Amino acid sequence: MGINPIEYSAWKGERSAQKARMYVIARSVFRHKIRSVGVLVLLILGFLMAHAFQLLFAVLSTHEALEAESMYEYMGFGNTLFILVILLAAVVTSDLIAEDMASRSFVLYFSRAVKVRDYLIGKAAATVLVMSLLCALPPLMVGIATMATQTGDDYAQSAGVLGRTAVAGALLTVFFVPYGMMMSSITNRKSYAAVGTFMSFFVLVIVAQIFSGFDEAWRIISPVDSLSFAFGWIFDVETPDYVNWGALACFLIGFMLIPAAFVYLRLKKQVVGG
Amino acid sequence: MSEADKDADSKKSSEARVRLSAKDLTVRFGPVVALNGFTANIPEGVIGLLGPNGAGKSTLIKASLGLVTIHRGAISVGGLDSQTQSLRIRDDIGYMPEHDCLLPSMSSVELVSYMGQVSGMDGKDAMQRTHEVLDFVGIGEERYRLIKSYSTGMKQKVKLAQAIVHDPALLFLDEPTSGMDPNGREEMLDLVRRIGEAKKTIIVSSHILQEVERVCEHAVIISEGRLVRDGKMGTLMAGEEGLQNITVRGDAKALAEFSKALGAAFEVVRKAEEGAGQMAISVKLFGDGKKVFALARAHGVQVRSYVPDKMSLEDVYLQAFRGGGPDGH
Repeated sequence: MGINPIEYSAWKGERSAQKARMYVIARSVFRHKIRSVGVLVLLILGFLMAHAFQLLFAVLSTHEALEAESMYEYMGFGNTLFILVILLAAVVTSDLIAEDMASRSFVLYFSRAVKVRDYLIGKAAATVLVMSLLCALPPLMVGIATMATQTGDDYAQSAGVLGRTAVAGALLTVFFVPYGMMMSSITNRKSYAAVGTFMSFFVLVIVAQIFSGFDEAWRIISPVDSLSFAFGWIFDVETPDYVNWGALACFLIGFMLIPAAFVYLRLKKQVVGG
Repeated sequence: MSEADKDADSKKSSEARVRLSAKDLTVRFGPVVALNGFTANIPEGVIGLLGPNGAGKSTLIKASLGLVTIHRGAISVGGLDSQTQSLRIRDDIGYMPEHDCLLPSMSSVELVSYMGQVSGMDGKDAMQRTHEVLDFVGIGEERYRLIKSYSTGMKQKVKLAQAIVHDPALLFLDEPTSGMDPNGREEMLDLVRRIGEAKKTIIVSSHILQEVERVCEHAVIISEGRLVRDGKMGTLMAGEEGLQNITVRGDAKALAEFSKALGAAFEVVRKAEEGAGQMAISVKLFGDGKKVFALARAHGVQVRSYVPDKMSLEDVYLQAFRGGGPDGH
């Protein structure tokens, strides 16, 4: 301490509402993510590999309207896009909870007026925002660019397809986040979480391919195929007959809800001690 | 004002001074009973929370924050129930955990400001306050470095800074000097003392009794999930009532005669030759000590010290676990 130590002084400001604290968490995570070199590289690479050509094509080619088929072909069959999205999800979600577990910093959050739910929503919201930069924003840009350069007058139909694009983009954005968070909550090491997330999807794709040899309906357990079928439904294009829509809906919803419930209960147990 | 009004006012003000109140608090983790009918009223001020490992100190802190499920009883902080109003309670609490809890990928400015915002401060306020508290705890330019490069002492200071950034009324410090060198310990204790001077209630959980003795005004001793003893430091450390420790000096014959005369007049509890013509005597006095000085004068011995018996906190702590003590615990 110096000769004249600085004395403790009181803070006289106003506290924000407790529910607003999740925005603070979301903002901090988002800032941290978009400063990360790995995430930036993936976003740029992903944009160049999956969207740039489509964007150029939309601007340079002659077209009458924004068509559902073309958007489906761009989003629904894009294995490159899916692989990049899985990779981005694995990287972005890997440290969300694992880092807090490794540094034992849960206590910093939960000794404050933050609920487990708010903590998770804050973290997930930031991740969804980052994911949307690859999954939702570029397809919307392609859609808007296509509409802006269309030769026909049927803007209403194009707007409808743009809306479907937004829904498909939103699904692609959120689909992998709960699973990635779940993986991040079961290990202290973000590298394990990232590899675990990526490999899980990869294994599901392989398992689906093996079982589809016996029955094509098994393809729905592949996240890539199930998303592709879901996009077919969203864009209202012809989809294979073997798709069981009930099973597909269960898979898609379960794939998001079960990991989300798992991570919530796991954290609740860790924080409150069961 | 009537006597009844005065009594009511006095009762009200004494109730207002209770910061944390636990009644029959029982917390279990499976078969392990962490707190077993713990009952205490912890007042405002700087409080030492003492007890061996596994005594239930950390569980008590977690119960106050509403972070553990209470099986029986209740705990309230500032009049708010920890189970139903935990978020309101936490807004006014700062917690410095014992273990490492800092995010290594952030600088201390980023972390403390972030925690300020998570506590409800707006960004501008949080940043300004962050610099204030980092100055207060003595983190200089290093505040812009990543926390993973910090020494243990610096990390302890950052942990304290994040706990006080939102200016809480109640502060829990769990082993605040853990892993620090002697200089660092001194600085940390000085910080605790200075925060206490700002009318904050600080509950310091520590194994180092000398530190608690130095900074705390009140102590709560806990063992096996139960309150063993609590009270003001002065009361706890006061020795047996009427017991005086006297040191006298003189030649051997005079000392022997003085001792004999003292024994005839009072009850001598302890007597020890200290060499070089000096003797230490603990004597239970009745009335004032004038007679002791008169006897000393009469026998030609010099009274070198005459002090009331006082225990160290360590004595109090050990006595509490042996099951004895001045208050009959």
